[in-house]
Amino acid sequence: MTLQKNESLWRKVERILPSVTKPGRYVGGELNQIVKPWDSVQTHVALVFPDIYDLGQSNLGLALLYDILNQRDYIAAERAFSPWTDMEAAMRQANIPLFSLENKRALSEFEIVGISLPYETIYTNFLNILDLSHIPLYSKDRNDDHPLVIAGGQAVYNPEPVASFVDAFVIGEGEQAVLEVVDIFQKCESGHLSRQELLSQLANIPGVYVPSLYEIDYHPDGRVANIHATHPNASLPIHKRLLAELPPPMTNFLVPNVEVAQERVSVEIMRGCTRGCRFCHAGMVNRPIRERSIGDILTALRQGLDQTGYEEISLLSLSSSDYSQIVPLIQGLHQLLCERNVNISLPSLRIESFSDELMDELQSLSPGGGFTIAPEAGTERLRNIINKPITDAEFIETVRSVYQHGWQTIKLYFMIGLPQETLEDVQGIVELSRAALREGRQAVGGRAKLHVGVSTFIPKPHTPFQWATFTPPEKIREKLAVLHDGLRGAKIKMTWNNPEASLLEAWLSRGDRRIADVIFHAWKIGARFDAWSEHFDLEKWQAAFSAADLDPNFYITRERTLNEILPWDHINAGVKKSFLAQDYQWSVDGRIRPDCRQKCYACGILSSFGELRLAAPNGGWKCP
Amino acid sequence: MNNHPMITRIRVDYSKGEALRFTGHLDLQRLWERLLRRTRLPIRHSQGYHPRPRLNLASALPLGFISDAELLDFWMDESLSLAEIQTRLTNTAPPGLIIHSVVEVDLSEDSLQSQMIASEYEIHFFDDQEEQLLSKQIDILMSADEIKRERRKKTYDLRPLILYMEVIHSKKGGIVLRMRLKAEPNATGRPDEVLDQLGFANTEYLVRRTKLILGER
Repeated sequence: MTLQKNESLWRKVERILPSVTKPGRYVGGELNQIVKPWDSVQTHVALVFPDIYDLGQSNLGLALLYDILNQRDYIAAERAFSPWTDMEAAMRQANIPLFSLENKRALSEFEIVGISLPYETIYTNFLNILDLSHIPLYSKDRNDDHPLVIAGGQAVYNPEPVASFVDAFVIGEGEQAVLEVVDIFQKCESGHLSRQELLSQLANIPGVYVPSLYEIDYHPDGRVANIHATHPNASLPIHKRLLAELPPPMTNFLVPNVEVAQERVSVEIMRGCTRGCRFCHAGMVNRPIRERSIGDILTALRQGLDQTGYEEISLLSLSSSDYSQIVPLIQGLHQLLCERNVNISLPSLRIESFSDELMDELQSLSPGGGFTIAPEAGTERLRNIINKPITDAEFIETVRSVYQHGWQTIKLYFMIGLPQETLEDVQGIVELSRAALREGRQAVGGRAKLHVGVSTFIPKPHTPFQWATFTPPEKIREKLAVLHDGLRGAKIKMTWNNPEASLLEAWLSRGDRRIADVIFHAWKIGARFDAWSEHFDLEKWQAAFSAADLDPNFYITRERTLNEILPWDHINAGVKKSFLAQDYQWSVDGRIRPDCRQKCYACGILSSFGELRLAAPNGGWKCP
Repeated sequence: MNNHPMITRIRVDYSKGEALRFTGHLDLQRLWERLLRRTRLPIRHSQGYHPRPRLNLASALPLGFISDAELLDFWMDESLSLAEIQTRLTNTAPPGLIIHSVVEVDLSEDSLQSQMIASEYEIHFFDDQEEQLLSKQIDILMSADEIKRERRKKTYDLRPLILYMEVIHSKKGGIVLRMRLKAEPNATGRPDEVLDQLGFANTEYLVRRTKLILGER
C-alpha cells in the first residue's frame, strides 16, 4: 500500500483549525500544488519559509526551488511555513509538530529541510521552526536520525550568525546547487556514509559552505583573528554559486485559496545590477548582470496567466529601467495586457535612466498608478559619496516630467544614517521633498501628492560600506526630528523605519559566529516574528546579549580598519575585498564610479567567474 | 446592456469540498474570478481600469463549512455550447471544487441572492454522540417560543430561523444532525449558532450544506 498523508496527525490538526485565525494558511491543497505519494520517491525535501504562509507563499525564490526539485521524479519537495502565534500555541498544546502542507508530514520525517533566509530578522522564526519540528537547534546536537538542515537566501552571504544552527549553506544562486545537494545526499545514503562524511562530501559542491568544517579564532578584544578550514574538502574562500545564464522563467505558480501578500504572475527579467550604489547589498552580491530575452519573458507571462488566472503581472529586477530592451519590452507588455484584461504593477525605476519615450510608454501601461523615485540622500555631496550621482536639477527635472506625464502621486525613498552624513544632508531631504511637491502643484495643481519613505542605513557585509558604523537609534531619532520639523505643514506623508528594528538588523547582518547564542537566548525568552512591529521587542534582545555575555555595541559602533578580518571574509560574493576597499576610499574622496556596463572596473566577477561566462554564449551576461 | 443579443447568463451547480473548507466567501469569489479567467471563455467583465469577471454567488458559505450544492451565475459575451462550458470549467477548477452542471438562465431573472429562501445542512460530529440526549435537546430547542442570541453585538431571535431539525443515522454509523434554516436577506440562520446553542464548540463538528432552496417570497 502506498502511504500518503499522515492521517493521524491531520485529524489532530483538523480539530484545532476552526479555533485559529485564517486556518486556510495551514491546509495546502492549492491549484498547481504538487503532491507525490510519500513512498514513491527516494528523497523528501521540506522547503521552509520561516514566516507565515501569506508572505512565504508570495516568495518567488522558494517557488522556484519547489518547481525545480519536484521536476525530478525521485524527489518530493513539500512546503512549510511559520504558524502564526495562535496556531503555534494550539499546536504546542495539542502536541502537533510542524508539518508540510502537501502530505501533512512532520518535518522530522524529511531527509532534508531547506530553509529560506531572505532577511536577518527572520532568524528567531527559523529556530522556532526547528523547535516545533523536534529537530535539535544546534547542528552539533543532530545525529543520523535527524534531517539535514540546509539554508540559503540573500541573508546568508554572511552565514556566521546562524552558522551554528545550519548543517550546510548554499551561498548564492540555488537553482543548480539544490539538485547537487540531493544527489550527494542520495549517494551517501545508499553508501551508508555517516552524517560527518555526508557533510564533508557536500563541501565539495561549489557554493556549499559547511560551517562545522571551519574554525574561527578571536583576538582578546573580540575581533576575528583567523578563519581556517579543518577538513581538506573545505575550500577557502567559499565562492558563491552563480548561473552563467538565466534559465527560462518558472511558470508553475501555485494559486493560494486564501489571500496572500502578492498574488500575481512575477517574472524576473534580469538579475544583478551595474550601478554600484555603495550601500546596496543586493547590487553587490548579485553581480554580474544577466538579462532574459523579451521572448522568454512574454512567453512566461502568458503561461503564468494560463496557469493561474491572475489579474496582475509584475516584472522583477533590481532596476528594471536598466533592462537593455526596456521600450520594446513595454510595447510587448501593452499587447499582453489588452489581450488578457490584466494589470501590471510597476517595479522600481531609476531616475537617471528615464527618457520621455519611456515615460510615455509607462504612463499608458499603468494609468493612475504611483511613481517611485529613490534619490536615497538629500544633497549632491552625499549622493556622490553613496555613488548615486544625480544633481538636484536633474532630480527636479525628472519629478516635473513625471507629474507632467500624468502621474499624480510620487513616492520618494531616502536613507538616513549614511556615512559622512550631516544634519545639512538631512535638511536636504526636506528641501528636495518640498521642491518636488512644488513641481507637482505647478503641473497638476492640488491633486499632486508626495510620499516620503525614510529608512535607516545599515552597513551591510560585502558592500563598500561594510567597514562603516551603524548610527545608533538616539542619533537616528535626532535626524528624524529634523525631517518631522521640516516637513510639518507641507502636506507630505512621511513613513519611516523604527530605529530599534534597524539596530537589530544591523547586529544580525554584521555578526560573527558568536551571535548564535544571542539568537538562541532571544528565541528562548520568546522573541518571534522580529520583522513584525507588533512582535519586535528590543528588551528581549538586550537581555539575550547579556545572557550570551557579548557587547552589542562591538558589532555596530566601531569603524573597522581595512585590514581587519571580517566575520564573513571567507565568503566570496564575487566582488573582491580589495575592490570594495578601493570603492570605500573613493567614497571618502567623493569620487564617483560610473555604471560598469560601458567599462569594466575589475570588481572581481570576471576574474572569479570568467571561465563560467564562456558557457553563456547568448549574450545575456552583460559585462562589457 | 442586458438586451445585447449575444450575452448569455450561465448558472453553475457545484460542490465546495474539504480542500476549500477554509476558503471564505471573499476568497471564494476571487477563486471563481481566476477560474473563469483560466477557462479563456468569452467571460463578460466589469468596466474600468481593473476589469473583473462579472459573477454572482447565491449564498455565502461560512468559513469551515463544505457544500454539495452551491450556485453561481456568470455572464458571457458570446454563446457557446453548455457541454463546452462545463468541460472548460471542470478542466480549470482547483482541487475541492467540483462542477455538477451548467444551465443557461434568462437574463431578466432576479439575482441568485434575492431568490434565496432557505439552506439545508448536515452536521457530522467528530466524537460519538448520545442520540437520545441530542434528540431531547433538540425538542427543547424547537419547543421554545424564542431563542435570544447575540451576534456581532446585535440581539436576534434564532428560533424563527430554524425551519426544521432532526437526528438521522448516517450510512457510516453514528448520527447526523440535519436542519433547514431560513436564508433570506437580513434573516439568515447559521448552523454554528444553532450548534452553539446546543453546547457544541466549532471544533467538534463539520458542517455540510446539502441544498439551496430558491423561490419567490
